Amino acid sequence: MANLNIQNKQERTYQAIVIGSGASGGWAAKEFGDLGVKTLVLERGRNVEHVKDYPTTNMLPYEFKHRGKIPQEILDENPIVAKCYAFGEDSAHFFVKDAEQPYIQEKPFDWIRGYQVGGKSLLWARQVQRWSDYDFEGPARDGFAVDWPIRYQDIAPWYSHVEKFAGVSGNKDGLDVLPDGEFLPGYDLNVVEKHFAQKLKESYGGDRHMISARCAHINGPHQQFAEQGRAFCQNRNLCQRGCPFGGYFSSNSSTLPWALKSGNVTLRPDSVVHSIIYDDEKGKATGVRVIDAHTKEMEEFYADVIFLNAAAINSNLILMNSISSRFPNGLGNDSGLLGKYFAFHNYRAGVSASFDGYMEYTTSGGRPTSGYIPRFRNVKKQETDFLRGYAGGFSAYRSGGYNGGDRIGMELKEGLLNPAAPDGPWRVGSHMMGETIPKESNFLALDTKNLDPYGLPTMKFNVSYDENDEKMILDYQEQISEMFEKAGFTDISVRDDHRSPGLDIHEMGGVRMGKDPKTSLLNRNHQLHAAPNVYVTDGACMTSTSTQNPTLTYMAFAARAAHHAVEESKKG
Amino acid sequence: MNRRIALRHLALISGGLALVPSCDFSSDDILAAYDKLKITSSQKQLLGEISNTIIPAGELKGALDLEVPDFILVMVNDCLKKEEQDLFTQGLTAFPTYAKNTAGGRFEKLETKEKESLIQNGLKLEGEENKALSYFINVTKRLTIQGYMASEYIQTEVVPYSLIPGTYNGAVLISDTHKPHING
Repeated sequence: MANLNIQNKQERTYQAIVIGSGASGGWAAKEFGDLGVKTLVLERGRNVEHVKDYPTTNMLPYEFKHRGKIPQEILDENPIVAKCYAFGEDSAHFFVKDAEQPYIQEKPFDWIRGYQVGGKSLLWARQVQRWSDYDFEGPARDGFAVDWPIRYQDIAPWYSHVEKFAGVSGNKDGLDVLPDGEFLPGYDLNVVEKHFAQKLKESYGGDRHMISARCAHINGPHQQFAEQGRAFCQNRNLCQRGCPFGGYFSSNSSTLPWALKSGNVTLRPDSVVHSIIYDDEKGKATGVRVIDAHTKEMEEFYADVIFLNAAAINSNLILMNSISSRFPNGLGNDSGLLGKYFAFHNYRAGVSASFDGYMEYTTSGGRPTSGYIPRFRNVKKQETDFLRGYAGGFSAYRSGGYNGGDRIGMELKEGLLNPAAPDGPWRVGSHMMGETIPKESNFLALDTKNLDPYGLPTMKFNVSYDENDEKMILDYQEQISEMFEKAGFTDISVRDDHRSPGLDIHEMGGVRMGKDPKTSLLNRNHQLHAAPNVYVTDGACMTSTSTQNPTLTYMAFAARAAHHAVEESKKG
Repeated sequence: MNRRIALRHLALISGGLALVPSCDFSSDDILAAYDKLKITSSQKQLLGEISNTIIPAGELKGALDLEVPDFILVMVNDCLKKEEQDLFTQGLTAFPTYAKNTAGGRFEKLETKEKESLIQNGLKLEGEENKALSYFINVTKRLTIQGYMASEYIQTEVVPYSLIPGTYNGAVLISDTHKPHING
């Protein structure tokens, strides 16, 4: 019996365990696989194999019973996920339904989740802008949160490492606020977008720009991705279904199959992590407790190194639920700051307008990205009565062209089947991506009385906008309106949709990095100060949020930290 | 049941019929397929007539050939809120009277031109008393267009749908775009 137990324990022992198979966990798995580390990847959701498990990917519009619309009954049962722009009849199977994991909104928070192998990397918007030192130096310069323990030069080579493998299309724009990377050819802007970019250059002395947003798509045939089994993006814009070409980066299309091919990596779906095991005698984390998603039975797995990549909120939850006599308040939580300084991106505002120039032009074909206005506020010095700034999305399209109008009968039918060339003005629009300031009063905490269907504690959210965010919304609306006016756009209207935090799906922090164990949880290599064989490289590690879509940065963090872990293990 | 009571019932029934002599669906079956709606088979037939007026058959098939009425009812049943479903069915129920009062006869018996102007007027109806009718006609037009254009027939045989739209061109001269004319 004793021998059996030993054997059983050996079978459950790996060199590394990666918790989560989304964008950041996938990168940790890939690097460990390449470096010869025997690794177990735990994923709480079901398996989703590239192509095979994309049931809707090649469905034609008429094959959807409701032509893409989600039935009202499902919307009523799922008021949270129903708010997500990407939740449709073609993608609903990749989203977590509300009842799967209830949570407590002490303040309103929309928690959008994707529990399956690949996580939200199947569903993301695929925008990948690098951070610069204007971002990393923010907290130190402006006196909020704590100083990041790293700078751009620490992460730049890892951005390159990740971009080359994932495939990133973009132009070398030469902007210090948004460093260039390892780019495949960028996607085109249309005539009106180019007009806007030119007008900004002329009107703001070279300080404001509009560029083609860098995106994780393979633009054009590029042989180096064939080894991953990926082909170039076909501009389908059906990414949320999973891409049969592997045209965009997801864990499913890229890092995970690569990791599995190495022979060093085992993937275990349906494994809901309960907690990380901390051995008081050994003074280190030794493994992970897992609840089988089907049998609800608890099992243990062991490893020298644990990578926590469960996505920001669940990484917080797992650490909070990892209680030992050494860590009665959550693993690594000597500072008492676990779950605090939680932040997100402010996506509340938008501006739209019309333009009656370039009326002889329209567009054709598809494009998986749009325009991007890098941050221009408070970049080199403090200029406004609020801290930090915002980036903006931007796109233009030609309106009109429908021939139906008020018609009926044969006239309507002919009009529908012979749509006129666009005859309306161009419509332009921008949305805001604002930096929020992490604060101690924006925090997550566990509710140990209300348990989820797996018996795990539920998360309580105390996260809200503040005065800085409100001022920033007004400034964004004013500045973008002014920029639109300078470009000759008319009929300008601003909006504030008052969405709750969370719907940006850029949740960050709670396990922040920093130099000092008294004021942070992770060191510059993403190790818990107090349990250095536990690494956190997803959104939970973020000290501040800046304005860029964060996933690229998590991927680079994960790759860098995996190499660090291997270097450490060589030291013994 | 004794004969006297049976006779009284008969009188009541025929009296009812006498009061509503043109009632189209008093003895109609309610269609179980649309479980959130109480739609009778003759109401579905009427909906078919209306959708086929909105998009008639010609050289190409029309709404009725593509079972658009079924699509409309599936969408109303599954994708509208309760209060919207109520408005829709109230409007559908009110439609025969609207046809009779406006055009002087049963919708099915009207000439094409009369049917079309009835629907066109219906789309523009205003006022609280016409709320349900106007809602019903507008939703029916919208769903007829959607069900017709996003049908297998149109998307494979008439205007083939491509999953691969081609490379983006951000500066296409409209004068260079030519499309063959499709006769409806």
